[in-house]
Amino acid sequence: MKTVVCVKQVRTLGDEVQFTDGGMDVDPDYVDLALNEWDSYAMEEALRLREAHGGEVLVLTCGGKESEAALRRCLAMGADRAARVERAEDHDAIQVAHALAGVVREEGADLVLCGVQSSDSVQAATGTALAELLGLPRVAVVTRLEVGQGTARVHRELEGGLADVVDVDMPAVLTIQTGINKPRYANLRAIKQAEQVEIAVSQATDAPSASRVRRMFVPDRGESAEMLGTDPAEVAGRIAEIVKERTA
Amino acid sequence: MARDPKHDILFEPIQIGPKTMRNRFYQIPHCNGFGSEKPFSQAFFRAVKAEGGYAAVSTEYCSISPESDDTHRMSARLWDDDDIKNLSLMCDMLHEHDCLSAAELWYGGPHAPCMETRCVARGPSQIPSDFEYLTYAIEADKDDIRYLQRLYVEAAKRARTAGFDIVYVYGSHSYLPQQFLTPFYNKRTDEYGGSFENRARFWRETIEQVKEAVGDDCAIAVRMSTDMFLGEAGTQLERDCLPFVELVDELVDVWDINLSGIAEWGEDATPSRFYEQGRALPWQAAVKAISKKPVLGVGRWTDPNAMVDAINEGKLDIIATCRPSTSDPFLPKKIEEGRLDDIRECIGCNVCISRWEIGGPPLICTQNATAGEEYRRGWHPEKFTTARNADNDVLVVGAGPAGMECAMVLGKRGMRRVHLVDAADDMGGTMRWIPQLPGLGEWARLVNYRKIQIDKLKNVEFLASMKLSATDVAAYGAEIVVVATGSYWATDGLNGASHDVIPGADASLAWQATPDQIMGEGKQLDGERVLVFDNDGYFMGVSISEMLALEGKKVTLMTPMGNVAPYMHFTLEAPNMHRRLHSLGVEIVTYYLPSRFEPGAVVATHVYDEHGHERTWDVDGVVLVSQRRSNEALFRSLKDDIGLDTLKAEGVDALYRIGDCEAPRLLADAVFSGHRLAREIDSPDPSVPLPFRRERRVVDAGTVASERAWHEAVVAGTAS
Repeated sequence: MKTVVCVKQVRTLGDEVQFTDGGMDVDPDYVDLALNEWDSYAMEEALRLREAHGGEVLVLTCGGKESEAALRRCLAMGADRAARVERAEDHDAIQVAHALAGVVREEGADLVLCGVQSSDSVQAATGTALAELLGLPRVAVVTRLEVGQGTARVHRELEGGLADVVDVDMPAVLTIQTGINKPRYANLRAIKQAEQVEIAVSQATDAPSASRVRRMFVPDRGESAEMLGTDPAEVAGRIAEIVKERTA
Repeated sequence: MARDPKHDILFEPIQIGPKTMRNRFYQIPHCNGFGSEKPFSQAFFRAVKAEGGYAAVSTEYCSISPESDDTHRMSARLWDDDDIKNLSLMCDMLHEHDCLSAAELWYGGPHAPCMETRCVARGPSQIPSDFEYLTYAIEADKDDIRYLQRLYVEAAKRARTAGFDIVYVYGSHSYLPQQFLTPFYNKRTDEYGGSFENRARFWRETIEQVKEAVGDDCAIAVRMSTDMFLGEAGTQLERDCLPFVELVDELVDVWDINLSGIAEWGEDATPSRFYEQGRALPWQAAVKAISKKPVLGVGRWTDPNAMVDAINEGKLDIIATCRPSTSDPFLPKKIEEGRLDDIRECIGCNVCISRWEIGGPPLICTQNATAGEEYRRGWHPEKFTTARNADNDVLVVGAGPAGMECAMVLGKRGMRRVHLVDAADDMGGTMRWIPQLPGLGEWARLVNYRKIQIDKLKNVEFLASMKLSATDVAAYGAEIVVVATGSYWATDGLNGASHDVIPGADASLAWQATPDQIMGEGKQLDGERVLVFDNDGYFMGVSISEMLALEGKKVTLMTPMGNVAPYMHFTLEAPNMHRRLHSLGVEIVTYYLPSRFEPGAVVATHVYDEHGHERTWDVDGVVLVSQRRSNEALFRSLKDDIGLDTLKAEGVDALYRIGDCEAPRLLADAVFSGHRLAREIDSPDPSVPLPFRRERRVVDAGTVASERAWHEAVVAGTAS
């Protein structure tokens, strides 16, 4: 059983944000980097598959050198190998999918796991585009996964609290929802060991982009917020009223 | 970040007499245990607040004469030229930060026991103190009154010489000027007693004389309690205080308005258990409404929006803080820089005050472990040096108060990686449930502040729901391991009164429980009648009793001590706690120690009954608040089962334990323990605290010769 987990080193914001001159991106001084939360669940799911079925977990990303921190976090969690497709300049989800697809084709995999979406772009596009490029079936927003002989039974989340249970032939691309498991922590020893692992680096081939950034800005603040005071009984009463008004 | 414009008014200068405060933040007079005898501790403690943005900082109560000696409690003193020298250091250091210095001139009257000086104070009438044991004053005649007023004038001049910008004629907390104003203390029938004009005479004349002496150079502050909550006998706002404001407003440069007398001054220094921020505002606003002078006042202010409201609504001009300035000396600066989530808010536990009430020790703070350590340990609340062993990874096991503080400070000291782990799914340890006890909600600030800080520190990671065995810890990969696994309430009745367990005590039984079980695990006791056995003596026994009574149980609170929760006398929580328990119908049984627990009954004997007569309380359930024990299983297993040598072979170079895991203690001391280890993590032996700088007189050859010569001359009667 070979699983490839595609992860992203996302940018996280604090309380304050400034844009670069020209307003095309967030000023890096206001940004921290972290492993995308959804991807940590995908990583944990892959480790559980390996524990149940044996095999190997390859963790893969597309980005600059700094994105190796996300790979090393996954290595510390227990990934066997890590690979990075170098792509320093701006790139969109489709270009990332092209870059990842090249490695997945070379490696081959029984399952490719992605997070549902990244917390910084929130497009939920990479996994689906990757499946298309690889010509594989894909199931999005997976909340439960059971792997059988050549197929996987997958629960996918629908709107309105509904779940759909489907059997999908492997290999397949699944995008994993948070809450599917509880991602394990890496202890300090594993973190240190992960620092020593060599990461395979390849170059992305040219691929067309499907979108471009025209402007970044903080949305205007609306005027509709209602402050509910400080007295708990009063606040509770008002909340009850609002719920009644809006559900009437 | 920049200041929120809505807080701008807090940073507007204000004129008080001949002086200008550069903003509206004022550190009210409050004790710290340093006085004039520990001038460096005093100066550095106050100067940190000036550095943190306070525009004026005061001494604690500052005695004007050996007749007003509060020993065993520690006041400042301005008795002679040497006191001037010692307090001038504080003034100089405040001025370096463009901060005004204030001296709260104090004369205690019958509240001054004079245990060091062996003098006798003078007062309006000869009735012993309602605060101090066996302390009477001389009933002052007219000559005594002139003498007392001269003491104020001379002390004011000394204050000016020392460099003080603001001089108080302090009456609040039932001290001499307010004793004259108040029928409770003043039973005189001459022109200093009786009518309002007569009762006000001493204070008015004293303010006039001090103003005359130093008023061109110093602002004159008057601190007045506007309600003593003593009914007709006490000072009253309408009858006494507002007329007094009108009487002397022209003489006063700034009013410092508060509440209470000394016997229940928890009505002023309000515990969060009973009062919210800004409790005194109605009284302060009443003075503000009729005075032409700036009004300042305390309110345990930590919320800048509430401060702004108090000013904009015309209730105060200046925001005075005592405890919040100790909890976070940088409160003004953090507001100015828009760093509101970095404010270390006072939790209102009053453990700072407990040290003054105990008499002697320096203050401590639950939130700010550096309080009182500014000079003697060189700890700055906001500055952290990079540890010399910062290339180490640290594992802190247990995210209670000690573990959180240790991990946070280690993070600020730049350790490569700090992993803070806890078996529970969030940080806090016992402080996750202690704030759920009645009235203790604000205590959650202890956890919240540290959670926010830890979240900001890139080198500190919290790992929840992770229960580590000793083997796990050994293999974890940390060079430094800190065990902070806290403590638990004894399940067998072990206690410090009998130094033994109590027969029949067993919290595994359905009808018995410990606070951990009730609050942490949700254990419920069946039946209506519950007996809480308390030999802890602080907040736990009474809080559990209050909570169970609020749930409708019929509660008996039994203690072998002479008082329930005696430590709450020191935190000023006792009077209202007693009132609350009484109003809830909790039966208080003091001086009784259970001899055994039986299903349906607690059998106990009076601790002073030599014959051991037994009394039986029929109860359905028992809560054991007898004592705590360290949760040291992990530490012992690491040290004894695995051993330091094996740990070393695994790469663990150092193993420490902190907080309750070493020995149960006050929350403030648990936080201190974690802070201390982190501050000294790169010392030669971090398990042992480094010595601190002691302010004491050191004997050397020169002083021996001069002191012996002086003594010989005194004995011989030849001293000049």
